[in-house]
Amino acid sequence: MQMRLLTWIKKHALFCLGTFLLLLLLAITFAGPYLPFVDRELTTITYILNEDKKPVIPPYPPSEEYIFGTDKSGRDLLSLIILGAKETILLVACITVLRYALAIPLSYLAHKKWMGTHLFLKWLNGLLSYIPTIIIVMLLAMLPPFLLSDYRPFFLLLIIALAEMPRAADMIKLEFDQISSKEYIYGGIAGGASPYRLFRIYYLPFLYSKLLVNMVTDLGKVMFLLGQLGFAGIFISQDFVQSMSGDWQLVNKSISWPMMMIKAFEDIRGPIWIPFFSAFAMTYAILTFNIFADGLKSFFTRKIRYI
Amino acid sequence: MLHIILKTASVFVLIVIGFILILFLPREKEVTVFSGFHIEADYPFSFELYLARIENFTDHILTERGFGEARTGRPVSEEAGKFVARSLKIVLPAFMVSMLLGTLMGAVQFYRRIKFTGKLQNFLSWMFSSIPDFFLFIAIQYLFILMMQHGLPHFKLYGHENWYSFLLPLISLSLFPFLHMSRFTSAALENEMGEEYVRTAYSKGLGDFKALLHMLWNCWSPIMNQAQLVMLYILSSLPIIEKLAGYNGAGKELLFSISSNDELKALSLMLPFLFIMFITIILSQTAKLWLVQKERV
Repeated sequence: MQMRLLTWIKKHALFCLGTFLLLLLLAITFAGPYLPFVDRELTTITYILNEDKKPVIPPYPPSEEYIFGTDKSGRDLLSLIILGAKETILLVACITVLRYALAIPLSYLAHKKWMGTHLFLKWLNGLLSYIPTIIIVMLLAMLPPFLLSDYRPFFLLLIIALAEMPRAADMIKLEFDQISSKEYIYGGIAGGASPYRLFRIYYLPFLYSKLLVNMVTDLGKVMFLLGQLGFAGIFISQDFVQSMSGDWQLVNKSISWPMMMIKAFEDIRGPIWIPFFSAFAMTYAILTFNIFADGLKSFFTRKIRYI
Repeated sequence: MLHIILKTASVFVLIVIGFILILFLPREKEVTVFSGFHIEADYPFSFELYLARIENFTDHILTERGFGEARTGRPVSEEAGKFVARSLKIVLPAFMVSMLLGTLMGAVQFYRRIKFTGKLQNFLSWMFSSIPDFFLFIAIQYLFILMMQHGLPHFKLYGHENWYSFLLPLISLSLFPFLHMSRFTSAALENEMGEEYVRTAYSKGLGDFKALLHMLWNCWSPIMNQAQLVMLYILSSLPIIEKLAGYNGAGKELLFSISSNDELKALSLMLPFLFIMFITIILSQTAKLWLVQKERV
């Protein structure tokens, strides 16, 4: 029994490593806040007296007391990252699910060449293969109707999901095109299945494994994009507040990881550990998603090969 | 050949128009002063305003015969040219490193795939391609800062004035496309392993290396198709890396002009980027036609 388990693990080493890292990430996200060394209150510190009884104001560099250092209001960075994980992961997952929920129907319509959808998709992909996604997202996210709306976070989620949606749709469309030449599809058509039924029962089940792999890969890509947007000063959960001079200002209220990069361009010349550790957390998440995606891929392809 | 150029050019024109249409969506603030203590700011958003803005823009372009003057009094195009030239110093080497060295590295990795070093290289390139470029950049800077605190001679990590300023951004920008090309080439070569001509090459007594050359020649088509992706990746990451490095190039200025709603400047900086993409596509397609034998196209 033990031998069989070992050989199974050896055979799917990548998959096991990916699962382990993913479980670790999820454990940090959901159970992490209850660890003893995590400061759930995120207490702020005004100053600390040093040996010469001189007050030193935060941020403090990484030390034994604060492993990751503190931010500018003296909050422990490690606790901040662990507490912010839930929001970050949730955002990334939401965007990815939304993206594929939109991409799958669109790709099927494009495959069926319904009302010129395929041309539209081709044009969108052309546009996106020229213009960097981050520029498009920035341009759309700064539009007043989205900026001033009460549902701004939702709109931003939608914009980010839409920005890379055509690429995903194009990839799924290729799969549809491939499947459509298979014999059993003709069987379905001859049997009188409606287009919707064909889609649900004849096409989709063969795509589940590929969709899953691509969605997990996209989790990493979305995290990367959120990081880039964080550097560009665009966040999902921001409040828009009018200041005394009549100007509008973006105000933070969240503790997600990209948010810690808001002052990255100043921090990088001083307390560089603030952007470093938030970027490190993102890198860990991206690495986990990529390893898990590759593990899943090899898991599925092996399964198919041995049938 | 002419057909490809014409087609790419028309796509390019369509994309420029699409970008201008997105750029000129109304995003300006309208402040109404009611009294000394009552000021209201509003962001009007209507189709009429949108049309007026586009009309305004075309008028401006027609009357000025170009982008006109910037707020500094110098022509916008001259300023943009300065920034773009600075960015090209990073973009072009990054592209060259990714395409040439990446392909070479992929071939080496394929050549040694069974040996331990090849496997190690495969694993490392896979591992490092998961690292986002901004983290790599910050990590390198953090490392340098820590090393300087422990006695490394001091040098400037930020800015664009020194001759070596472009090196750090260049390294962090080219890592991902370089690894991508290396992995892609190696995968493309593996696809060719089952082809008959490889067997023929071996049966004629050619060694591994000569056979590899045969295979590489047949991989040019998929490899050249990656050029656009590599360039797009470099241009996407350029603004963030430039901003992190304090490198005053076109990417950093583009971010600034977009967030301060300076559409003309944004357009003048974005157009060269789009043009670079266009040139990349044309060149890679031409190279493909030139390199690949007709029968295999």
